[in-house]
Parts: sequence; C-alpha cells; structure tokens
Amino acid sequence: MARVDGLLALAVIVALWKLASIGIGADIILPAPERVLQTLARVATTARFASAFAATAGRGLAAFGISMAMGLALGLAGGASRRVEALMAPGLTIVRATPVLAVILLALIWFPAGVVPVFSAVVMAFPVVAADVAAGIRAADPRLMEMADSFGVSRRKALFQIRVPSAMPHVISAARNAVGLSWKVVVAGEVLSMPGHALGTGMQNARMALETAEVFAWAAAGVILCAISDAIFDRLARRIACHTQ
Amino acid sequence: MSYTISQLEKHYGSTPVLAGIDLAIPESAITVVLGPSGCGKTTLLNILAGLDHDYAGSIDGFADGRASYVFQEDRLLPWISARDNIAFVLRPSIEASQAQHLSWQALSSVGLDDQADSMPPAMSGGQRRRVALARAFAYPSDFLLLDEPFSSLDLKTRIAVMDLFVKIRAKDGRSAVVVTHDVREAIYLADRIAVLSERPARVLDVVDLSLDRSQRSYTSSAAVDLETRLYRSILS
Repeated sequence: MARVDGLLALAVIVALWKLASIGIGADIILPAPERVLQTLARVATTARFASAFAATAGRGLAAFGISMAMGLALGLAGGASRRVEALMAPGLTIVRATPVLAVILLALIWFPAGVVPVFSAVVMAFPVVAADVAAGIRAADPRLMEMADSFGVSRRKALFQIRVPSAMPHVISAARNAVGLSWKVVVAGEVLSMPGHALGTGMQNARMALETAEVFAWAAAGVILCAISDAIFDRLARRIACHTQ
Repeated sequence: MSYTISQLEKHYGSTPVLAGIDLAIPESAITVVLGPSGCGKTTLLNILAGLDHDYAGSIDGFADGRASYVFQEDRLLPWISARDNIAFVLRPSIEASQAQHLSWQALSSVGLDDQADSMPPAMSGGQRRRVALARAFAYPSDFLLLDEPFSSLDLKTRIAVMDLFVKIRAKDGRSAVVVTHDVREAIYLADRIAVLSERPARVLDVVDLSLDRSQRSYTSSAAVDLETRLYRSILS
C-alpha cells in the first residue's frame, strides 16, 4: 500500500511538472519530463557519465564513511559523558550554523578540486551524526541501566552492551541523514570546484551551455544515488528494529 | 551473615516514605515484606540493594554485601540470548567459556536449558521471569532481593515459578527479601512476613511461619487463620 501511495505521489509530481512546462512553454526554462528522460537516457550511455557517476558515488561514500566514523566517536564520547558533551557543544554548534556555501568556498581555497566536495560534506554531516548518536546513547532504558548497576556491571560494559545497542535506531537514522546530506553537499561542492569527473561538473557544464534538460538529467543521477541509499537504509532500519525492540 | 534494618527513614523532599523501619532478616530464609501498593516497598529494596544511598538509619549486613535483584519487570536485554543475559551480570574475572557454562547451568536449574539461545522477545512471560530468577541465582551475591517478582504472571504460571523459586532458594541457601502486596503469595513463600503500613511505611506486624509448605497452597484452608491475621494487620 505504501509503495502504491509513493508511486501515486511521484505521478502527481511528474504531472504537475508536465503542466508547468506546458504553461511556461520554453525548454530552456523548464523542459518537459519526457525530454529530461530522453536526455538522461542519452547522457547515461556515455563514458563521461559512467566515470562521473562512479567518481561522485566514491566521493559521497568517502564523505559518508568519514562522517560516520567521526560522528560515532564523538557521539559515543558525548553520550557517555556530560562533560565531553559540554566541551564539544560550542564547536559542533559553530560547524552546524556555518552555511554550506561558506564551507565550500573556504575548501576551494584550501584543497584541490576533488577533495573540496568530500571535505565540505564531512563538515556538514558529521555534527548531525554526533548529535544523533549522543542522543541515542543517552536514551537507553534507565531500568536496564539500573539493573546493570544493581549487579555491579562496569560502566564500560554497560556502555557497550546496553547504551550502544539501544542507540542503534538513532545510529541508523543518523546514517540515513548523513548519507542524504553527503550526496547533496558533494554535488554542490562539485558544481563549484568542477573536478575532472563528477556529476556536479556535468551539471555545471550543461548550465553553461544552457542545456537545461541536461542539467536536470545530471541532477536526476544524483537523485538516483540518494534513492538507492535510502532504500538500503530503510531495509537496515527494519532489520535493526527487529533486534532492539 | 545477619541482616538487620534499624530505624530506617526515607523522605522524598518533604514527604516521608519510610518512617523508622525496624526488621531483622533471618539468615538463609525468605522474608516477605507485605504492604499496600505505593507504601514504599520498592524504595526499601532499592536502599537494601545499594541503589539509593539517601536515607537515615542503618541496614547492617546489606551495605557490606552484594545483592541479586529481581525487579518487577524482567529487565532482560532484548538483543542478546537468555544465556548471554545471565553471562552479562557475571564477574569480568570469569573466563568467557566458564561464564557461558555457568549461565547454561543457571538456565538448566529453572528448566530452560533448551531455551539458552532464545532471544527474550521470543519467550513467554513465564520463561522470561525464570530467566530473571536464573540470573539472580547465578550472580555471586550475598543475598536476594525480589520486587513483586510474580505479580505479572497468571495464577498457574505464578504458582509454578514460585515453586521453582522456593526449591532453588532452599538449595542455594541465600537469604531473600521479597516484597509483595498479595497476602496469599506472602503465605506461599515466606519464612517470615513483615506487614508494612500505608505510606509513610512502618512495620505493623511480624509473623514467623511454621506452617508446612504442603499446607500453603492457594486452595488449602490450613492458612486461613494466618490470612485473617494478616488482613487485620493491613486493614488496621
């Protein structure tokens, strides 16, 4: 039923898009959905697209992996100790409040083109992971913690055998947010830094050539990456929920 | 080891909860603390378990020893097996293989050796309760504390699990303090019953039971005088 509803919502979006493109009547402003689909089919068969898709996927996964590693370590420390959390709070707030474009522009000054998207995505995503993980660690059932305390179980053992498993739904939610954010920031970083192989570079080149349908086609490839990761995390979240509830 | 509670007082803010509890806990026996819901029975157990240090008075014997606590709920970790739940509370100095063996033995003593690898959410309420009891007995403590441990079970399962508890405790020999609001349950389990008043709790009556266990069943009329005495104490 949920799948049917999802397809219905997608059909409504495509129909509204089609109506808007007819209303505007200019492909350079808003190309019709079928035009974008044709362009995507054409672009997707080129070697340039395959290497760009692979490079962007690699950058996104690298950014996601680094964000998760940093976020898990900081979230674990912050969730286990109020003092560590207080020490981290100002830094995380500054990072969270910094506009993504400011991060990308600074990264352009500091790093080569291929590193800019990864660095920017990590800076944007890891505080989200750290905050979610810390909240999950602290949300462990106090009755289980009291049980561990009554049996003299060490804080370290309770952390890894009660708090960490309790936090798994939060970790999955954090990972899902981090991967979505990583794709978006990586592509945004690529648009500005224009590395040799990248979906963002394809998008920027198409924009400069006023090939709006192609801009949409490159953007659609980014959406596909996001949809694949969403599907993986949905499945993972269901599996984790079975084990922790 | 003797256990004595003397002039035990506890306040939550300005509200008194325990108003000078005096009670001797006989060695290697089951003492049931019987009292109405909300009178402070769980507070008393938490103090004896060392989970609550904010009290006045003394709890000789308890403060120096380790407690095995059976809570009102099972409090099993749902993501690990029954066997691992027991191994979880064993001392870190015990080797992993020995901890697994001790856990299996504990499960075997409550008749759940075939459920050692089952996850708690897949077990029945009675089975989970037995795992919680096995965990308490497996833990190398000096005494047992049980907070309304059978109240969530249906009557038939409750009697079966209580029988199991009485049998294992008799073999094990540790002193046990059980709190309950159920008079029949108290008579079924106890060697000594201490009746508490409404909050703030104080001891209204202490009864030592010499009645043979075979005469304590829920359908037996042998305990009717005792039951009447306990009801009178509670309602006084």
